[in-house]
Amino acid sequence: MADSSPNTRHPLDQIPELLAARAETVRAWLTEPLTRRLGVQVAIIVLGAGVYGATLGLWRSPLQALFVAIKFPLILLLTTTFNALLNGMLAQLLGLQVRFMDSFRLILMSFATAALILASFSPLTLFALWNAPPLADASAAASDVYSGILLMHVLAIATAGVAANIKLLQTVKSLSGDTVRARLVLFSWLAGNLFLGSQFVWNLRPFIGAPYLPVEFFRPTAFQGNFFEAVLVALRHLFTS
Amino acid sequence: MNTSYEPPNQPPVPNPASLPLGQGPGENEPIARPTQAIEAMLRQPRRLVHQLRQGAGGKLIGQMVGLGIVCAAIYGVVVGMFSGGTQLWAAPVKLAFGMLAAGMICLPSLYIFACLAGSRARLVEVAGVVSGLVLLMTLLLIGFAPVAWVFSQSTNSVVAMGFLHLLFGVVALIFGMRFLSQGFKWMETQFNAGLKVWMIIFTLVVIQMTTALRPIVGTADTFLPKEKKFFLAHWFDQINGDGKLARALED
Repeated sequence: MADSSPNTRHPLDQIPELLAARAETVRAWLTEPLTRRLGVQVAIIVLGAGVYGATLGLWRSPLQALFVAIKFPLILLLTTTFNALLNGMLAQLLGLQVRFMDSFRLILMSFATAALILASFSPLTLFALWNAPPLADASAAASDVYSGILLMHVLAIATAGVAANIKLLQTVKSLSGDTVRARLVLFSWLAGNLFLGSQFVWNLRPFIGAPYLPVEFFRPTAFQGNFFEAVLVALRHLFTS
Repeated sequence: MNTSYEPPNQPPVPNPASLPLGQGPGENEPIARPTQAIEAMLRQPRRLVHQLRQGAGGKLIGQMVGLGIVCAAIYGVVVGMFSGGTQLWAAPVKLAFGMLAAGMICLPSLYIFACLAGSRARLVEVAGVVSGLVLLMTLLLIGFAPVAWVFSQSTNSVVAMGFLHLLFGVVALIFGMRFLSQGFKWMETQFNAGLKVWMIIFTLVVIQMTTALRPIVGTADTFLPKEKKFFLAHWFDQINGDGKLARALED
């Protein structure tokens, strides 16, 4: 008789289960040792977000595509790791009855879901790039195209983020049995992750890359200032000029 | 004396659409030939979806993709007749390739959205539904082909013909999307917001494909365009160009 126990299943079989995030599956996963699914979920983030990141940088140059393929998953993994402690504390403070590491696992699952969605959008973004004039084309039409491509990436990333967080909310709701508590936990995690994630995005810029600037992994000013200072400066320019 | 006829008590005949997949009449009959695939697509789409779930998906998908290519090519010949010359072979090649490419580009996102909606459908089943969508669209386009030919013989306007083909394409797309949503319903998948977003994505990709592979209706010096454009920009340029031409002819 064939052994159909979870131990012998192919790692790729986890993908539909991860995306569906059924309550019973997630509960079963949370009882397993941490290392059991960690490798697969990190691999999904590295490959999924990496492939999408490559399509983000490819418009500028193949080297930029390689850089963004490394940087994009790095943002997700760094945010999850650096916020693990805070997210674990927030979950417990807000009454979610899960172990400390389970918060880390749930957020990693959510990022893996987002990475899968982004990977599935890669053929679409590649098709859009195939239809776009070269980034170096400085004509007015090309400027419209630049805005269009930027908007497309924003929509793709937003869709992936929203879908992944809806799944995370459903999961947290099923674990806590309380909608209000689940929302509180999710919003606290989101606030922390967005706060830190924006800074990592700032440090690791550029992603698409301006055509008149060299292709580089970090900008020379990567570690000068921060995302929120830049927003304040931009706002000050907007209202004082 | 009461002479009225009272029918014997018979159990109500269930609506086949309300039965579980595979329990409707004829749904278990295998689809062996391409003609059976066409018949099933038009008359018994549930049979087609059921057969996709029975492990014979690969062969059936092959048949549907092959038929879709042939149907798109036939419609392409009619499209090419408007301009004649090289367009007689270029338009069929572009339409067949375009439909196939659009399906392949959008397949990964449909599978992911289906999984997010809680579907237990395998990738091969989702690929089968997409092949069915493409087949139904191209079959309907063949239905429109005689109408398109009649119009192509009575106008010289690329914009007018382009609009007409677009109209036929939209009608075919609506029916194709109906098959897709029903297919997922039969596969016990809730057709949620994510899958509706996918419909919009597929529509945009199909429309953009017609711009990426232009000219399909008119003529050009090269097989593929030299200038990259998005479909809205291309449409505005065409409408402006056609207007200038019309005014020049009036002057």
